[in-house]
Formats: sequence, C-alpha cells, structure tokens
Amino acid sequence: MHFIRDDTIRRLHEEPLYRLDHVSHRYPDGTQALRDVSLGLYRGDRVALVGRNGSGKTTLVRLLAGLLPCGEGEIRCRGQVLQGELSPQQRARVGVLFQDPDDQLFCNTLNDDVAFGPLNLGLGEDEVERRVVRCLQQVGLLALRYKPAHHLSYGQKKRAAFAAIMAMEPEVLILDEPTANLDPRQEQVFKELLSDYQGTLLVIDHDLLFLYDLCQRAVVMSKGEVHHDYSFAELVSQPAYLREHGLDFTFRFSCCGGHHHSHSNGDGQRHSHHLPSHDHGDGRQHTPPAAVQTPLLELQHYSFRYPDGTLGLDDVNLAVHRGDRLALVGENGAGKSTLAACLLGLQRGEGYFFFDGQLVPNRGRPGELWRRVGIVFQNAADQLFNPSCREEVAFGPQRLGLRGAELQRRVEESLTRVRLEGFADKVPLNMSGGERKRLAIAAALAMEPEVLILDEPTAGLDPHGEELLLGILGELDLTTVLISHDLFFIGELSERTVVMHQGAIIRDYRTTHFLTDEHLHSINGLDYSYKMECGTRILALQNGSIGA
Amino acid sequence: MEIHLSWVQALGGTLAVALPLALALFLLRRFVRAGRRDGESDWTVSAVDDHGHGSSSFHRWDARCKLIGLLLFAFAAAALSSLALALAALAISLAAALACRIPMRGALRRLLAMSGFLLMLLLVIPFTAASRPGETLLYFPGLPGLPFHVGGLLLALTIVCKASAVALLMEPLFATAPLTVTLAACARLGVPESLGRMVLLCHRYIFVFLHEMSRMYRSMRVRGFVPATDLATANAVGNFLGMLFVRSFERTGRVYEAMLCRGYRGTFPSSATFTATASDYAKTFCWVMLGAALITLDLLRLLPW
Amino acid sequence: MHISDGVLPMSVTLASAVVSLAGVALSLRRVRNEELPKIAVVTSSFFVASLVHLPFGPTSVHLILPGVVGALLGPASFLSIALGLFLQSLLFQFGGLTALGANTLMMGLPALLCGLLFQTLRGTTLVRHGIAGAVCGGLGTLLAALILAALLALAGEDFFGVAKIALLAHIPVFFIEAGVSAFAVTFLFRVKPELLAGGGPGR
Repeated sequence: MHFIRDDTIRRLHEEPLYRLDHVSHRYPDGTQALRDVSLGLYRGDRVALVGRNGSGKTTLVRLLAGLLPCGEGEIRCRGQVLQGELSPQQRARVGVLFQDPDDQLFCNTLNDDVAFGPLNLGLGEDEVERRVVRCLQQVGLLALRYKPAHHLSYGQKKRAAFAAIMAMEPEVLILDEPTANLDPRQEQVFKELLSDYQGTLLVIDHDLLFLYDLCQRAVVMSKGEVHHDYSFAELVSQPAYLREHGLDFTFRFSCCGGHHHSHSNGDGQRHSHHLPSHDHGDGRQHTPPAAVQTPLLELQHYSFRYPDGTLGLDDVNLAVHRGDRLALVGENGAGKSTLAACLLGLQRGEGYFFFDGQLVPNRGRPGELWRRVGIVFQNAADQLFNPSCREEVAFGPQRLGLRGAELQRRVEESLTRVRLEGFADKVPLNMSGGERKRLAIAAALAMEPEVLILDEPTAGLDPHGEELLLGILGELDLTTVLISHDLFFIGELSERTVVMHQGAIIRDYRTTHFLTDEHLHSINGLDYSYKMECGTRILALQNGSIGA
Repeated sequence: MEIHLSWVQALGGTLAVALPLALALFLLRRFVRAGRRDGESDWTVSAVDDHGHGSSSFHRWDARCKLIGLLLFAFAAAALSSLALALAALAISLAAALACRIPMRGALRRLLAMSGFLLMLLLVIPFTAASRPGETLLYFPGLPGLPFHVGGLLLALTIVCKASAVALLMEPLFATAPLTVTLAACARLGVPESLGRMVLLCHRYIFVFLHEMSRMYRSMRVRGFVPATDLATANAVGNFLGMLFVRSFERTGRVYEAMLCRGYRGTFPSSATFTATASDYAKTFCWVMLGAALITLDLLRLLPW
Repeated sequence: MHISDGVLPMSVTLASAVVSLAGVALSLRRVRNEELPKIAVVTSSFFVASLVHLPFGPTSVHLILPGVVGALLGPASFLSIALGLFLQSLLFQFGGLTALGANTLMMGLPALLCGLLFQTLRGTTLVRHGIAGAVCGGLGTLLAALILAALLALAGEDFFGVAKIALLAHIPVFFIEAGVSAFAVTFLFRVKPELLAGGGPGR
C-alpha cells in the first residue's frame, strides 16, 4: 500500500473536514462492502475516488452523505461524530450528484427542484429566490426555470441536478460518474462548472482523462479497502497499478500515432448515387458510381421531420457497402440517432431508402428490415427485458422462427462471441454494466444481421470493459455503423467517418483524415483534441516514471 | 306508441345519425393524432400544466376558489337528468374551455378518450332500456323482438352531454395553474398534504417511465416483436412489464435517497401563498349559482326532455 | 374499463366516493410516511403500464393488472390505484372526476383482495407463482368487471343491458390479463423475488 502525500506535513496540523476512523460496513445480506477504512477529507481537497465496480466506492459515498448508518468505526464532521438521523443542516454540508439526473429532479419544474433543498433548510423566501436564480444562471438554465424536467435534454438535466445541489451550498461535493453519457461538449461545460467550485470535491469516475485536470488526490479502493491514497499524478504514472484496478486506459495510446494532414473533400454538397431512382430535373446527372457493387444501404435525398416540426434529417445522401466499417459522429442532436432509427425502419421520412438494391417504402408496414439490421442501443438497461441471458439472446432468433438445435447453437455462439460463456442461466438484471452491454450485443448478433449499428457502445464502461469490448467488436466480420464520441474507438473500429451536423452530412471521408481534421472544432464544437492532449501528458508522466 | 319503420326509413334514420357521428369522430381523431405516423403506439402524454402560466380569467382566478366553484358545478352537471339542461351544461363547459385560451387539443383528446365507452352506451341503451308505459318504441324491419326505445336514446344522449361537460371542465380546472399551485390549494381546502405530494411525484415520474417504456418497447420491436393474441406475446409483455416494475422499484429507492440528501424530512416545502379578492369570490359564486340553477330546474322538471 | 361521468345516479356516485375516501384514508394511516413517496413513484410505472395495448381481434385491450399491483403493493395497493386513477382522469379523462370514487372502488377492491389471495397462493416454486399470478390476474379483472356491472345495475333498470354487455365484453380480457400477469409474476419471481412479498416499496 502506498500513502505518499507531498503535503503530509500540513495534514498533520489541520483538522480534516470529514474524518473516517476504522469504518467498516456490512450490508444486511452479508456483503462486506467496507473494511476498516480510515480517510480524511480536507478543505479544498480535490479527490478522485477510483476502483473497480463493487470496490466499495458507492458505499463510502452513501456513508458520507448519511444515507447509511455508520456501523463500525466513526465518521466525524469537523470533529463532531455523526450519529443517528442527520438534520437537514448536516446533510446540506454534503451534496451528492448521483448518476441518473432523473432521480434527482423529482419536482414538476426546475424552480421547485432547485428550491427544494434551500426550503428544507428553512431559509427565507428572498434567500431561496436569490439562490435559485444564481444557481440556474450558473448552469445556463435560467430561461427554462418553470419548465418540467422532461422537456430537457440529458445534458441539461444533469446540469439542473447540479444546480439543485449547489443551491444548498455544500462544503463537500460528491459526484458519481458525472460524465457518463455526456457528449464531449457537455462534458466540457461540466468540467468548467466543477473548476469554478471552490469547496471540497470527491469524484467517482472511470475516465482518468476527465479527472486529470480536476483532481490532485487519488484514492484507489479495492475490495472494500483503501488501497492507495496519493497524488493523482502518481496514480496515472504507474501503469501497473492502473492495470491492477481495471483503470488502465493506456491501450488507447497504442495506435493513432501518425499525424496526417487534413484532407477535407471540400464541399459536402456533392454526392453520387449508386441506384437509379430519380434525376435532378435540370438534366444534370449524378456522378456515376465508381463502384460496380450494389450498396447494402443507400439513402438518397432522405429527410425526416419530427411530428413537432423540427428537422431531424436534412437531405441525407449516404451509401454503405457490404463490409464497410463506418463511424457516425456529430454533436448530440446532430441527427445520428435519427439516422439510425431510419435505417432500422423505426422512423420513416421522405426520400429514397434502398436496402440491398430494394426500395424501402416510406409508408405502410415497416417490412422486414428488422431481420437484416441489428442495433445495440446506448443504454443496455433499455434492451434487456428477459429473466435469463438465454431467453434474452433467444428472443430475436425466436421471432425469426428458429427453434430447437439451431436456436441453441445461435445462443451459445453469440454468448461465446461476447465472452459470456456460462452466463446462459444468469439474470441479466444482476450483472455488471459491462456484462450487460456485452449481452445486448450478443442479443443483436444472435439474429445474424447484415448490418450492425452500435450506438455509443462505450458509454458508462470502465477501462477494463472498454478494452474487452474493443476486442469483441474488432473480431466482428460484418458491416458496422458505429455512433460514438470516442475518438479512439472510432480510429480502431472504422475506416470511414461520416460527420453530421444539424441533420445533414457535412463530411464523409476516411477515418484517418477525420482524426486529423482541424476544421471540426469550429464546425460543431467537437473538441476531441483536449483528451488527446491529456492522454499525451499522462503518457509522458508514465514514461518518466518508468525511466526513473 | 309503437312505430314500425320501413327499410328506407330505418336506413335513412340510421345513416342520418351515424354518418355525422362517424365523421365527427374521424375528424377528432385526425386532429388529435395529427403528425403521427401509422403503426406507432400512442404513448405521448402532455403534462397537465403545460399552459399553467397564462392570463385568462381562469388563470387569474384564485386556485382555491376555482376548485370549489368548478368542482361543485361539475357535480351539479353530472347529477342532471334532463337532456336540455345537460346540453346547457355542455354549452357552459365549452364556453369555459374556450375562455381559458389553452389549445383545444387537450380537451378534444379527452373527448376522444371517452368516445368508446360513450358510443357503446349510445348503441346499447336504446335497445336495452327498461320499458315504460306510454313511451315511444321504434321497430326496425327484421328486428321484431328488439324495440328501439326513444327514451333510452334520450337517456344515452344526456349521459354523453354530461360526461363531455365534465370532461371539458377539466382543462379550466387543472390546466390553468401550475400543478403545484392547484395541489397546494387542495391542501388548504383540507385534502391531506401527503396526497398532493404523491400526485406531484407520480405526475413527474410518469414522464420518466414513459420514456423508459418507449425505449424498451423500441428495442423489442427491432428484435422482431409484433404483438398478437398469443402466449408468446403474453410472455414478452409480461417480462417487459415485470422489468418496468423492477426498474421502478429500483428507481424509487434512488429518488428517496436523493430527496433525503436535499434535506427531506417527510414534508415538501411549499412557498405557495394564496390571496383571494372579491372578484375571485364573485367568480366562484357565479359558478355555484349556475350549478344550483341547473339542479333546481332539473328537479322542477319544467322541461319536456 | 372505466365508468365515465354522469352515468351513475348522484347517490351511488357520492356513496362510492365516500367509501373510496375512507379506503384511501385507511391506507394513508397504515402506510408509513416515508413510504408514500416510494408508492407514488411506483404508481407512475403502473400508470404507464396501463397504456400498453394488446391486440384482440379487430380492436385492442389495455391492461389494468390489478392482480400484479395487489401482489406488489399489498395493503398500499388501494392508495396506489386511487392515485393512478386520479392522474388518469387528470391526464386522459379515462374515468371522469366525478366518477373517481366509483372507479377507485372498481379497481382498488380487486387489487386488495388479489394481494391477499396472492400471498396465500404463491408458495415457493416458480410454477406455483405462475398459477397464483394467473389466478389473481384473471380474478382481479373478473371482480372489477363484476363491480362495474353491479354499479351499472344500481344506476337503474335502463342499464341492465349495458351491464351484461360490459361483462361479456370483458371475458377475453380475463384471459389476456391472466396470461400477462402470470408471466409478469414469474419474471419478478426469477429476477427480484423480494418484491413479491407484498410489503410495498420498503427498504
């Protein structure tokens, strides 16, 4: 164990804000979640709390927030032992931002949500009003003050939940995976909000690149114990420890070394069609296709409008050939998911959609697209609704009419492909996030689709899970459309990148060109370079420590 | 009085009633579902108080007074037995629904939701109503044993009017103030505060679960699920709903913890203050008097039907 | 299956409202204060589940699942159903405001009874749970339809025909409800059996 702190001397003289002394916790079902944890949280500390799933991070947070009674050991807040039911004032000292913002926005308007805490503290109306305005202003949601939370986007909800916590002016702010499911732009906004926060910060996250600038101290937990407690720079500079705790993200730097120069193909308006469907009326013919092969999927002048009138897709022209490995990128709301829904036949717009040379009608029954196009949605929880993995994977093939041995073969094969051998009788609900994600992939693969759409496959995974997923996806031998913000995965898993912005395709080029395209930031604020820079700095640290 | 209809009369009469009704229902459906693609499940729900911030006289009416006035009127309307008065109540409710200057789509949606049950009444009651001495019976050709009671038709029409009248009052009653304010007003009127809180929470999470359910249902569809009347469908839907319930139970724990973290101790803080002015009382008085007048006229049985 | 406003005579409307209010008041007393928010959140999922329509012949039926609600919430199910129906009338007009009392009785009583019955029937095996789920699911709907018919019959002789037809029309619904309830209960038994203890959403 390592407890090397550069400012140890100062710590000896200062009383910590929170101090845990030999705290253990056992859940009623017998699981020992925490074992003899001693930890001090000091004013102004910025701590990254990392470790594998089930290492006790969440239990620790719940103890600090007073959601669990402290069994063995004691927790002191400014020297005072915390016992029994906490008062609102005591609770207000710790603000916790949980993962799902919907859990924290339980009122019918943002205003009520943000005012909830301060009102419980017994503050006067003027003070509450002042705090509501200030906090909503800070997160840029003042204009939506009287809107219900279900009118907000995910990123906005996350910020609203943050405002609701900040309105209580906590001394300690605890964040549970703040960046899960946020796009790079929202992540940046969040990071700025956190940088402005002056109090003590405790962040649980797997994304060390996000934590890198934010935290100075790292507490690594393993099997209910504090394994390491040292500076963040030290943590990231030791690849061996990272690997031991499932945090090693350095597999990400094994590639994309070369720097190519920008090769934008210029104006995105020019397009060519492969299948004859229409001419443009001015006698101008489309560029004749260079490839003779019929594309597997082709969209021609495809537009989609939501019932409320907003344009989801704007004159999209896209051809995907058999064996293509395509990445679809763009800011949230750029139309990536809408495009995926159209390819699945879930949404139907105007224009021409060919599947394997056949025109898919824009009206009437959706037809047989579901047999040939598979998708793995972003949130595995939305995809798993069976009581066992076997039934989960068999659901699709059964709808295809498969029975008996063939069904059995497909189930076993798919589970093996995603490294879930022997999981057939397990309950999907009780599996870890990474396992559930892989199960969702198996469920899609069992239908043997010709095209597989992957919507943000890495969202919410820890580095270990990401690495495993990378291996699985790399082995797939079928046409894939990868929707992602993750530059590394795009580089690894695609040869061609399509950039979307406001419903239209603005770039369609080789992934190597995309990775070096400097114009992208100005086009849709996709700031991918920042993380690369952090990564490079971390790598430098690691090389330094290895050298020394 | 017994009237035996000829084929022409029977057909003409049925068409004269059924065609406008069918047309009205068709248009209602078209309007309410405008912009929605065929084959999609209709799971869209709008919040009650999306238009809670307005400036109509209903928006400006003190919520407590509004509740008393409109609720009493609604019960009065539901108690009527004369068709003419039920029509009058419907006209008053329609005027109110128009006066609160909220898009009529919500109100029309309510009418559409009731239409099935009401149509059934319209179809069944005239043929099955109790026989009364001296009433008018119509005999359709080919149906000698099944007289059509004109009195039954009037009864069914009265019910349709009353139900629509109460439905149209819902918008002025609940949509013209934020739900929090309406429920705080209920609490001031003696409804247990805990019930109001539960309504608020339930209302909020309906939207969360709607999203959750439509995402789950979508992933069933892409794996080939098509609902049918068979055991496989029951299995899939049973699993699907079971999962929905499990997720809701898990979420309720998380929500409760989030509430605790923000200082919840069993009561929701409320900052709603109510001040009723003379005009608020006057409005309530008017509505109560309208209701009382309808009831009085109804009890006096001055009108022929 | 809802009664709309203006069908029942005022005496029946008010009487059922009073009985329902008493039931809600009783539930409120029996349920611990800290469970109320949890019941509210769970109720929203029941509400959402009632929007699921299953095809039946040329029409479709929507699920009510009084049996499953009773099995999951036990004594609190009456309160949950009252809450759900109030929100339905708020959002959709399924069952109007003045008929709320009657509708709550119609759904709430079967849920309470099925909750009790489920606890005695369920045993410890998967098969027993499936049977208990099917029985409670079918019976819950049957009871609801019977109460509906009884309320309609109370409205006078004119409504006897409507009552009969309503009962007949619900026969296929019993089977669909029984099937879906059985599968939902076995799912819960396999995935999270502690939810079926009927204790509501406690810790």
